[in-house]
Amino acid sequence: MRPISLAPHLNNTGLTGTAGLDGGGFNIWGNSFPAGELPPAGGTTAVGEVPFLFPVAGADNVRCRGQRVEVPPGRWDWVHVLGAAERRTEDLLEVHHSDGSVRGQWLRLSDFWPQTEPRFGEVLAFRCRHLHYPRHVQRTMSPSIWAQRVPLTVPSDVVALVLPDNPALHVFALTLQAAE
Amino acid sequence: MKISLPGVSHWRHDLGHCLHATAGVLLGFYGADPLDLLGAAWGFDYRGGDVRREEYYFPCWQGSLFASLAPYHDVASAWHTPSSPEQGWDEVRARLLTGTPVAVAADNYFLPFRPAYQDVHTNHLLVVYGFDDARGTVSVCDPVPPRFRGEIPIEALTAARDSANPVRHSRDMFFTANPIGNRWLDVTVTGCTGPASRERLREIMAANLTGFEGVADGASDHRGLPGLQRFLRQAAARLTDGDASVVDEVFVVAGVALAVTGLHGDYLAAAARRLGEPALLKLAREVDRIAHHWSAVRIIVATGRDDPATAGRALAGRTTALLADQLATVDRMAAVAGSI
Repeated sequence: MRPISLAPHLNNTGLTGTAGLDGGGFNIWGNSFPAGELPPAGGTTAVGEVPFLFPVAGADNVRCRGQRVEVPPGRWDWVHVLGAAERRTEDLLEVHHSDGSVRGQWLRLSDFWPQTEPRFGEVLAFRCRHLHYPRHVQRTMSPSIWAQRVPLTVPSDVVALVLPDNPALHVFALTLQAAE
Repeated sequence: MKISLPGVSHWRHDLGHCLHATAGVLLGFYGADPLDLLGAAWGFDYRGGDVRREEYYFPCWQGSLFASLAPYHDVASAWHTPSSPEQGWDEVRARLLTGTPVAVAADNYFLPFRPAYQDVHTNHLLVVYGFDDARGTVSVCDPVPPRFRGEIPIEALTAARDSANPVRHSRDMFFTANPIGNRWLDVTVTGCTGPASRERLREIMAANLTGFEGVADGASDHRGLPGLQRFLRQAAARLTDGDASVVDEVFVVAGVALAVTGLHGDYLAAAARRLGEPALLKLAREVDRIAHHWSAVRIIVATGRDDPATAGRALAGRTTALLADQLATVDRMAAVAGSI
């Protein structure tokens, strides 16, 4: 398993503390996840058996706009994704290989919105007890972050992943898994 | 006096909003499966400039709001516009006394159970199903998260219904600056026929396909596939030219398209399981994929106010993909409708 740093691509603030509620804006309404209910920023956290590099507070997730994420070249089998969407959505993740070929694989993420079930068979990674609004903490809303995985089907070195140009998709962390 | 009507329970589709949730509650009261009624129609029909700043906006081509939501069923609705808050409550109370729940427009800012309470103004819709004069309360049902069903002070509902719905700050987006006006909605359901038979489903699919031909599509009407293409292409071009004024209109219209498409996908999936038709199930998944394009469209435009040119280019690319999938799905729908 190889957690990938998304630091160069983080462009959205989805986690806030109670002292900085108005600094968040995971969705277009300025809502954010309570950082205090999630794993420590900057550390590695496991969801099931998959280790994810959990983002530091601040710009902490990637709102997908076609960013190219370089990965350590290798014959990876799975891309594990920690993320959520603003209303469920799906799009092609471009998988770039060392031979210059490009293949698309579906990246599907369910809604982060409270009381909304996963649509694409994801594992619930985190469900917070509160939802942050710019001027208050809502104690009756429980937003979700999902763990999804994308298969890499061709036995050829992968060198980069290009995220979809779909800003409804948010990615907090990526981890690559090699063949056994 | 007090009354609490039985048979009022939550219903919500995850891609819908307060309109479909409210409609689901009211249709459920009449014994209907909301998905059967709200999911049958699939199309794109929008008259340019028709959009209104309310969460429950829906293009009403079939006359009333509910007739437009469920055009293949015998349902209808009528808006009432009382001249005062007192008259507004008297009318709703009188309707409840006949044993009929109603929908009321309300500003979330004044509703204690809404996250927007004392924070954000917005033009919302929910069901009223009872009252207790002695306690000074009304019973409301709102399936939109955090989901509420119970009593609130009548003063709160009155304030919400009589709100000017003003714009106060940056989060008062899309659904503000449209006074609520104590409006309430009366719904009539004259016969629920149950899930569509195979023959009825074929008729519904054929009617939807005819709608996609967009026969009446014109300069300001956006109907069917020609209208959909023109609406999205024009919006992308305006954004690319730096015109952010298109954001509100496209966001609200995309919300309707998202809900209608998502509901229809689930409607077809339910029919597929009921009738044992795998081809219908595959078609349902393709419709779902188009809904997921609409999720992207909403956020592309909503985040495009500060940089409309970039949003315009993203919307142009999304439009190409959406239209290609839409065309393929409509073609497949024609084939499936002829084979089931």
